[in-house]
Amino acid sequence: MSTLSADRSDAAPPALPGPTLTCVFAVTDTPVPDGVCAATPGHDGGGPLRVLAAGPLHLVVQDVPAAAFREEALAERLNRPDELERCARAHHRGVQTAAGAGPAVPLPMATLYLDDDNAVRAVTAREASLRAVLDRLRDRTEWAVKVHGPVIAPASAATGDGPLDGRSYLRRASARRRTEREEREQALARAHAVDRELRRYAVAATRHRPQSEQLSGRGVPQLLNAAYLVDDGRREQFVRAVGELARAARRSAVEVTMSGPWIPYSFARTDENEYAARKEAGA
Amino acid sequence: MTDLGTWPAGPETLPAGPPSGSLADLLERVLDKGIVIAGDIKIDLLDIELLTIRLRLFIASVETAKKAGIDWWETDPALSSRAARDALGEENARLRARLEALGEADPDTTEATR
Repeated sequence: MSTLSADRSDAAPPALPGPTLTCVFAVTDTPVPDGVCAATPGHDGGGPLRVLAAGPLHLVVQDVPAAAFREEALAERLNRPDELERCARAHHRGVQTAAGAGPAVPLPMATLYLDDDNAVRAVTAREASLRAVLDRLRDRTEWAVKVHGPVIAPASAATGDGPLDGRSYLRRASARRRTEREEREQALARAHAVDRELRRYAVAATRHRPQSEQLSGRGVPQLLNAAYLVDDGRREQFVRAVGELARAARRSAVEVTMSGPWIPYSFARTDENEYAARKEAGA
Repeated sequence: MTDLGTWPAGPETLPAGPPSGSLADLLERVLDKGIVIAGDIKIDLLDIELLTIRLRLFIASVETAKKAGIDWWETDPALSSRAARDALGEENARLRARLEALGEADPDTTEATR
């Protein structure tokens, strides 16, 4: 990290990381409105959010204390759930700031450079692909849709009516398992149908891994965890479609929920990872 | 989770923050998404001493996240392990097909190699 080339043009002696690092949240091609940065808190212990110019691009950055953002320090802090959440929310605020007036490409949380010059250089080197992504995200919004289910009543084989002999018990238990399996299969088919329908309204779609029950906080399995990139002009249509699917789902044993609008985190990809992502999604 | 029954049909002004209660959604996006700009550890440019850390490289060690069930990076294609597995699988299938073809063509040889 401290290696510098001898021909580095500025006069400053090659130095170890200073007391602060430049943390970059996101890149946009639309000027960030005045006052937004000052009003938005970034990471704890850091300076105010700032905007750096990189040619036609603008970076939303913050000076953060190096001591708190060194790899070990960061890993240690992120081991604590409350800190993890604080960091994630701070990062999200920075990204939102960049997206205040136009599209923004989020950078991964804790994208750090030794100083502003390095951040600008890194972004400038990728200007063409970043601008392509910004163009793709312009006037588009991400929506997250999940399908949960099926809600299966607790097994009642043991308490069901009927003879109490072992053979009857086993027969009831086996029938119960069969029913449950069928219900699960039907629910999964419904989840896929929801996805198919919503893709009609989206310019891009991706499936995330279903969240665990622990993470989702739900007692039922998550069958679909999808994100859709929707033209803002079709937003109403999309939202209405989700509403209709949710109402239809209520009659069955699955539940359709939506969150958004999101800054298109899930679609901020350059072409080179697009292929891999498509492969991952099995689309 | 948003109750779709009350979801506003009208357009919002701007992409806003997540509705409350969707921390999982936020973490899912914030922790593992975003474009990595010359942040690869592999990059070795002496004049750009990048401190960029690819979070996913060390978050695998974040036990808390794991306990919370955040483990999607394990199948992240960018991590390439899965891609490598897929490639190996394909290679394996190709070799098997080839072996079978060879076996049909020349049972004696196949017998001998068993």
